[in-house]
Amino acid sequence: MSSLKELKQRIANVSSTQQLIKAMDIVASTKLQRVRTQLERVRPIYRQLKRIVEEAGREEAARAHIFYAGREAKNSLYIVLTSDRGFSGGYNANIVAKALDHMNQGKNERILVVGSKGYEFFKKRGKNIIRKIIDLPDAQVYYGAEAIANWVIDLYRTGEVDEVFIAYTHFVNVLSYVPCVERLLPVVTGDKPPLVWSERKYEPDLATFIDNTIPLYLHMSLFRAFSEAHTCEQAARMISMDEAGKNAEEMLEELTSMYNRKRQAAITQELSEIFGSTTILHKGGDHGS
Amino acid sequence: MAEEQARPAKENAEENKIHLTIVTPRGVKFTEKADMIIMRCVDGDLGVLPGHAPLTAALGDGIFRIFNNGVEKKLAVFGGIAEIDDRTVNIYSTIAQRPEEIDRERAEMDRREVEATILEESEEHQVRRLRVLLHHALIRIEVSSHLEEAEYLKYEEEKEDDE
Repeated sequence: MSSLKELKQRIANVSSTQQLIKAMDIVASTKLQRVRTQLERVRPIYRQLKRIVEEAGREEAARAHIFYAGREAKNSLYIVLTSDRGFSGGYNANIVAKALDHMNQGKNERILVVGSKGYEFFKKRGKNIIRKIIDLPDAQVYYGAEAIANWVIDLYRTGEVDEVFIAYTHFVNVLSYVPCVERLLPVVTGDKPPLVWSERKYEPDLATFIDNTIPLYLHMSLFRAFSEAHTCEQAARMISMDEAGKNAEEMLEELTSMYNRKRQAAITQELSEIFGSTTILHKGGDHGS
Repeated sequence: MAEEQARPAKENAEENKIHLTIVTPRGVKFTEKADMIIMRCVDGDLGVLPGHAPLTAALGDGIFRIFNNGVEKKLAVFGGIAEIDDRTVNIYSTIAQRPEEIDRERAEMDRREVEATILEESEEHQVRRLRVLLHHALIRIEVSSHLEEAEYLKYEEEKEDDE
C-alpha cells in the first residue's frame, strides 16, 4: 500500500513542477517577444553605423587613427555576455566555451563579465576578471551599454588594453543561436585596400569625425550585442521549458497509468481475498450443518 | 504613355528633392521628402540642398530643420551621424524627437533645475555636464514650442537670415 501512497505523492510533485515550468515558459515567451522587437529595431542602425565606420576606415588618413591602427596586443579586453539565471539549456555553456577558446589562443585576457553564470565560470578558472555586471535590469541596458562603451574607450585610450573583443550569442531564429567573438577595437576594416582618394568628405574633418563616431558605434554595438544575447537567452529558456514541459507531461502520464494499474491490482487482490474468505466461510458453514 | 507625359513637370519637382531617413535604435523613425535641410554639426550648422556632394558629418546636439514646399518642420536631434549623398540624407542618431513627442514640462523643469544648480556648482566637469543638459532642455523647448504654433509657419527667407 505504501507504494501507492508514494506514487500519489510523486504525481503531485511532478504536476506542481509542471505548473512552474508552464509559468516560466510563459514568462520567457513574453520576454522573448519584447526583446526580439527591440533587437529588430536596433539592428538597422547598428549595421549602417558599422558600414560607415568601416568605410571611414578605408581612408588612408584613418589608418593611423588610434581606433583603427593596430598595436602590439599585450592586454586584451573581453566583454562576455552571459545570463544571470539558468534553465536556458546550453546557452551559457556555449558562449563561455567559445570565449575561453578564443582567450586560449595566447591572449593576455582581462574580462568584463556580464551575468552571474559567466562570472562563476571564469572565477572558478582563475581568470582575470576586472569588472563584473550582475543583475542588470532590462530598463538599464541602453544606458548601461553607453556607460560601458565610454569605459572601454577610456581603457583603450589610456593603453590599459590594446584590443577589445566581445563574446555574445547571435540570434538567428528561435531554434538557432550562434556564439561568436568579434573584435570591437581596433575597428576591423576588412580586406579592402585603403582608398587613396575618395569622393566622400568628412565633416568637420576625418579625425574629429572618428572621435565622435566611434563612441556612438560602440554604444550601438554593445546595445545590439546585449539585445542579441538577451533574445537568445529568452529563446533558449523558452525552448528548454517547452522540452521540460513535454517531459513532465510524459512522466505524469506514465505515473498515472502506473498508479491506476497498482490501484486496480490492489482492488483485485482485495476482491479475491474477500471472495476467497467468503468461499471458505461458506464451505465451513456447509461443513458445520 | 499618356499618363507619363502628363506628369513630367510634377515628377521633376519630386525628383529634385532630398529623401530624408532618420534611423534610431528604435528603428526607422522618420522618412520625408525635403527641399532643404539644416542640421547642427559638431562645429556649426550645415545646410543641405539636393545635389550635395557626398559627405559624412558628425552631428552635434541641436535643432534639425526640414523645409518642404515652404513648410518648416523641426526635430530635436542629439548627436549622431549624417550621411549625405546626391539625393539622399540618412541620419543615424540615438535621439530624434518630434515636437509632439517632447515632454515640455519635463524640459522646462530640467532647465530650471540646471540653471539653479549651475550657480551653486563649482566643479568644472559637473558644470560642463549640466550645460549639456541645459542645452538639451533648451532645444526641446524650442522644438516643442514649434508645435504650439499649431500650423507650421510659412518659411520665409528673410526670417532665416536673421537667425
